Amino acid sequence: MRFNLKGIFVLAITCSLCGFLLSLVYSSAKDKIKDNQKKAIYQAIEKIAKGYKEVVPIKVRSIDVYKLIDEKEKIMGYAFLVEGQGYQDKIKILGVINKSGTTLKGIEIIDSKETPGLGARIGEEFFTSQFKNLKVFPSIQLTQKEKVKNNQVKAITGATVSSTAVVNILDKGIKELREAGVFND
Amino acid sequence: MKKGKEWIKGLWKEHPVFRMLLGMCPTLAVTTSVINAIFMGVAVIFVLFFSSLIVSLIRKLVPPQVRIAVYTVIIASFVTIVDIYFKANFPQMSKALGPYVPLIIVNCIILGRCEAFASKNRLIPSLIDALSIGIGFFWGLVVLGAIREILGTGRVLGIKILSASYYNPMVVMILPAGAFLVLGGLVAIMNKLEGR
Amino acid sequence: MKELFQIFISTVLIHNFVLSYFLGLCPFLGVSGKEKSALGMGLAVIFVMTLSSSVSWLIYHFILVKLGLVFLAYVVFILVIASLVQIVEMFVRRYSPALFKALGIYLPLITTNCAILGCVLFMIARDYHFWAAVVFGFSGGVGFLLVLLIMAGIREELNYADVPWVFKGASISLITAGLLALTFMGFSGLLTS
Repeated sequence: MRFNLKGIFVLAITCSLCGFLLSLVYSSAKDKIKDNQKKAIYQAIEKIAKGYKEVVPIKVRSIDVYKLIDEKEKIMGYAFLVEGQGYQDKIKILGVINKSGTTLKGIEIIDSKETPGLGARIGEEFFTSQFKNLKVFPSIQLTQKEKVKNNQVKAITGATVSSTAVVNILDKGIKELREAGVFND
Repeated sequence: MKKGKEWIKGLWKEHPVFRMLLGMCPTLAVTTSVINAIFMGVAVIFVLFFSSLIVSLIRKLVPPQVRIAVYTVIIASFVTIVDIYFKANFPQMSKALGPYVPLIIVNCIILGRCEAFASKNRLIPSLIDALSIGIGFFWGLVVLGAIREILGTGRVLGIKILSASYYNPMVVMILPAGAFLVLGGLVAIMNKLEGR
Repeated sequence: MKELFQIFISTVLIHNFVLSYFLGLCPFLGVSGKEKSALGMGLAVIFVMTLSSSVSWLIYHFILVKLGLVFLAYVVFILVIASLVQIVEMFVRRYSPALFKALGIYLPLITTNCAILGCVLFMIARDYHFWAAVVFGFSGGVGFLLVLLIMAGIREELNYADVPWVFKGASISLITAGLLALTFMGFSGLLTS
């Protein structure tokens, strides 16, 4: 490779100009990008939980938790954001759980890249609605047949891995919150 | 080539995907639905247009040894701009398109056009070339996306066309395998239409 | 260790770069005509992919993130890949002229191989730690080579088959790839975690 001074110079100028242009674009957009991420979570909380007045974000270990406060200044429940490996890629789930950590109020799949038509159906109403008022003791169970107990969720046919992942991610998250003493008030 | 011919060459005769078989990675990946195809197509038109613009303007200033590197940096920058724009204003689409937006950088179409055309021609012809190829790519994506979305889910742009009650969607169409098969079929149809 | 093995199996068979993510299609459809060139290309890709993945990981985590310059990631990655390919080319030309001749023009073509950049992008998105990134890069290359060899074998057989003229060339290759992708979907039951 012959070292062409003019070439190196042109390349360096190009990189600098491009870098400068990009930093301009990025700095004008980065706040909006951060807001978008927050918006998705708050919108999901709004969808699942009702009757709360305030949302207070805290960090429990490495999990983002949101205390849901009612108008009497009392905690009525918690929303939590957990993620884990699905079939294709990471799945991000927002769950809302009651104050004592015994019943899930509902979930919303925030982010997933599962197989369209199969695993991706975990985001659909018919699957997520199973988590409304779901008991979590001793743990959330996945079943292939019809659900008989109130801590069971029926897997999506043809999407066992994705369904299992959702259940495991939630279960692990709830257990970790319990161990950290979140529900001990 | 006359101005008129310049405009339409990318749309049919020298169609980047169906005839020249360039830029297939994003074609097959994002055409799971029409809306994805539209966004990707717009992104490519944007990058192709502005990259060709800059490359054509500076073509006399760039020494041959570094031209590929310089063009690539320019392309990468415009792709980053599109990516940032999508992330800020269309977060859902950005997630749906995922890594395929940055992959526009290595999309052979863009570098190919910059190298083969914009680096050797004046500004206006380069821009026409970029738009021609870009729009051609766009409609190719939309057609592929429409076929896959209708056959795979019975919907187009989220609107139900074929009801699930009498049409059992061929899920394979929105899976990678289906993408290959549909594109293979479309290329064959193009061959037949061109008589070659 | 188990995690690394899972990444390997997953990337080579279940989520193959070519058949699941459509990466590396240009060379895939262009080169896989003969088994010898397929082998050469595949080996070159394994090498470049492993290196790119590792080097990009280091630059991303120790420079870009530390300095808050993440938005320069794409530009930096493509420069890294282009430079690595240049260096590899010089290296191979100097120390193994035979290998250089065998790889021919495929070596510089690797820069625009979307599989390399794709591999780096996925590796960042999945937030792998260093050794996972290295294994991921290596597995991606192996998966690419595997599919390339299978395609080359099939393509050579297709030469003797009576393909209708509308399908000749790219069309039948794509359809073959589609059938291959369908077949590989059968591997998805391998990992049950």
